[in-house]
Amino acid sequence: MVLKIFFPQCCTTADSGLLVGCWIPDQDSAVVLAVVHYPFIPGQVKRYLTEIRSQTDVDLTVLGSWSMPKEGQEGMDSFLKDLSTIFPHSRWLQLSREIGKRGFTCQVVRKGGMFLKEQAKEGEGSVRDENEKVIIVHYDQRKVMLSQLHPVQEGVSHSKMEQSALRAVFHTVAQSHPLFFIDKYDDGPLKLTHWQSEGREASIIAELVKQGSVPVCKLLTWMLSLWSWLGSIRLLNVPPVRFISSKLSTCVQLGYRTEHLQTVSSTRKATEHMEFMRKANIFVSFLLDMALGLLLIAWLYRENRIGKLASTLVPVADHVAKELRELLEWLMGAPAGLKMNRALDQVLGRFFIYHIHLWISYIHLMSPFIEMILWYVGLSACLGLTFALSVLSDMVALLTFHIYCFYVYGARLYCLKIYGLSSLWRLFRGKKWNVLRQRVDSCSYDMDQLFIGTLLFTILLFLLPTTALYYLVFTLLRLVVVLFQGLIHLAVDLLNSFPLFAMGLRVCRPYRLAEGVKFRVLCEEEGTPLHLMMEINPIKVSAVLQYYRTPTYSCYPRDSWMALCKKLFVGELIYPWKHKTTKTD
Amino acid sequence: PPCGPVENKKVLYGRQPYPDNYVDRRFLAELRRNVGVQQLRYWSVAREAGLVGQQVSCVAVFVALWSSLDGGALPPAALLWGGLLAALLGYGLHGALGGGTGGRTRWADLQSAAIFLAFTFGFSPVLKTLTESVSTDTVYAMSALMLLAHLLFFPYARPSPPGSLSLNAALFGSVCLASRLPGALHAFAMLTWALLLFALWPCLLQRLRDRAPRAFPWAAALVSLAGVGGLSGLWPGGSVLLLLTLLALTLACPLLLVRLQRHKDNIHGPWDEAEIREDLSRFLD
Repeated sequence: MVLKIFFPQCCTTADSGLLVGCWIPDQDSAVVLAVVHYPFIPGQVKRYLTEIRSQTDVDLTVLGSWSMPKEGQEGMDSFLKDLSTIFPHSRWLQLSREIGKRGFTCQVVRKGGMFLKEQAKEGEGSVRDENEKVIIVHYDQRKVMLSQLHPVQEGVSHSKMEQSALRAVFHTVAQSHPLFFIDKYDDGPLKLTHWQSEGREASIIAELVKQGSVPVCKLLTWMLSLWSWLGSIRLLNVPPVRFISSKLSTCVQLGYRTEHLQTVSSTRKATEHMEFMRKANIFVSFLLDMALGLLLIAWLYRENRIGKLASTLVPVADHVAKELRELLEWLMGAPAGLKMNRALDQVLGRFFIYHIHLWISYIHLMSPFIEMILWYVGLSACLGLTFALSVLSDMVALLTFHIYCFYVYGARLYCLKIYGLSSLWRLFRGKKWNVLRQRVDSCSYDMDQLFIGTLLFTILLFLLPTTALYYLVFTLLRLVVVLFQGLIHLAVDLLNSFPLFAMGLRVCRPYRLAEGVKFRVLCEEEGTPLHLMMEINPIKVSAVLQYYRTPTYSCYPRDSWMALCKKLFVGELIYPWKHKTTKTD
Repeated sequence: PPCGPVENKKVLYGRQPYPDNYVDRRFLAELRRNVGVQQLRYWSVAREAGLVGQQVSCVAVFVALWSSLDGGALPPAALLWGGLLAALLGYGLHGALGGGTGGRTRWADLQSAAIFLAFTFGFSPVLKTLTESVSTDTVYAMSALMLLAHLLFFPYARPSPPGSLSLNAALFGSVCLASRLPGALHAFAMLTWALLLFALWPCLLQRLRDRAPRAFPWAAALVSLAGVGGLSGLWPGGSVLLLLTLLALTLACPLLLVRLQRHKDNIHGPWDEAEIREDLSRFLD
């Protein structure tokens, strides 16, 4: 078995002293966390370790001794060797550096091996286990402490955790955070070397923000609770209001934003990594959203752009109506040389033209107010770009309401025809659909049933092409609108769910999100153990997206293409907002 | 195969010194030929074949009526009166022949008649414009196909009630033809006659065959004559063709069948599938 010693890089130049760290059970490896310098009083060291041990759940012990040759300290070696009698141990590591060599040697002494060791020095036999090789793995303590190894395992009891040495090392280093608080400016009885021993890292701004965020969060929580109380008022929960608000994407977006802000502003500290990342992601995308929204406002409310927009909107609606009317007139003739039933064709065409007429008069009635409406609606962009986009989507839905109506009429008519034809076709063959057994059974009909059924079948069959053509044309129009709305929804969803913070972390501090490690040989000299350098492998970008995506509705599978085609064929209505609104955690 | 003193038994559960597919010389001893074959007589076959012939002429009568209506030779009102008369006569005959059979009351019959008339009359204007944009050839081809399907799928063995596919095909064809007529009343008259000929007449004929077997050949012959006569005014060549077809169907084909009867050779034996002879109906109640 190879003994692995994880050794912090910052300690390679430390003065002589004691190695403090812990053994990783079952893995035959040791993690060195710090070096306690000479001079020290062993009792104080023990007390300090006990204190740290109670703060963390790391089994901190004295692993062995570290010797760094210096002028005037030649007697130190033997003193450090004697220390092993003071501290309880099963194995005692003796790391010692020599002048002029990059690597350092390591000796492992078993318990009670003190006496035998003397013999070994005299060359009478090998007491040290010759099979026991030692590998010293150097690691960057700061990076290892801050990094999070993926896949994240949280909520699993650490004692039962999957026993991977690497995970245990990362966990140990991250847990022994309090050990690194003492730096060389502290007047304590002990002097330690670790990554922060040159002075603690801190930022005044970060501390101020931390202090300031607490009241802000409290205020925000209070406001949000007020808001959700408003939302839960009985008046807003009556069926029509609720139905409309579940269909308007602005309201849906409002719901999401409330939920996100509630997550962010909760005053409970995020202890687990995933929770923290979720909060940070939501917060950063919220900030970005606001910034983009404000940019949009700055652009929109200058040079009378709103007025221009309003004055182009009505002619565009008129133009669309004109095009639709021409399309209908084309359909009422002999479109593409198809043979349609003239009477039905005329009826449908006139019905739809009347509808367009109604629509245009409605738009013209609205036209004096459109600029004002746009002005107020544009203000919603200060809540964020996603709101502006949602409002745009809703406005498109409202302005193309006539197309939606055409589609619904066409689809209902077509659906009725298809269902009627399929059941009458069964009657034609003398069969019927057995609901109880979910199959087609043969059946003997009365003669009047047969007669009327066949009559209707003939009529429906000859009228089907006309209906189908109207359905096809209006479905295509509807699909264009749905596609446009779908693109807007996609953009909103991207803004809502993109893990911006995690992505920034991955780009600027790649070691924070680790997926594994790689080892590099530092030096391999005769007489010294193998020295490896452990470097952190950052996680892949696609994996970042996969792990840290904020869940929204588009994460769930929607209709497949085949299901969509089938729905279109039988004339079922399709909606852009048809998604599972219930989120399951 | 090992030949031993052991006699082969036709069982699979016992262990025997023969392979499973072994048969001995007694195998063909149980062969029997033509079990339960009834000898057909020429005139009874010809009588039954009259049913096929009269159905073909029914279609001919229908086509002749349509043609004369389309050409204007026959006013639709006259056709409707004729239809009413025929329906009343047929209903009276039906009532006279059947004494208390069938669950239908006169009230139910009246209801059915009302439904037929109301729907047909209501839909006849729709029918007139239904196939306006479809080309005439397509309509004719479709009607011909449907009438042929009616003849093919007609349940000749038990004509009452008419099998739904055959009746539906005939009605579909007649709706197609009726939609080519010049007026709504024409279409109404045509559909009424389609109902009389394809739905009600087979019922009456069945009743006639059951109750008055002697009158049945005369009725069939009458319809055949009507078909030939109706077609002769329209298309003489066609009527000759129809006459020849009818003769072949009713006289020549039965002769052929009776002749071929001699060559019948059915073999039966222990290899036949098992047949349950016991009456199981008491278990089904």
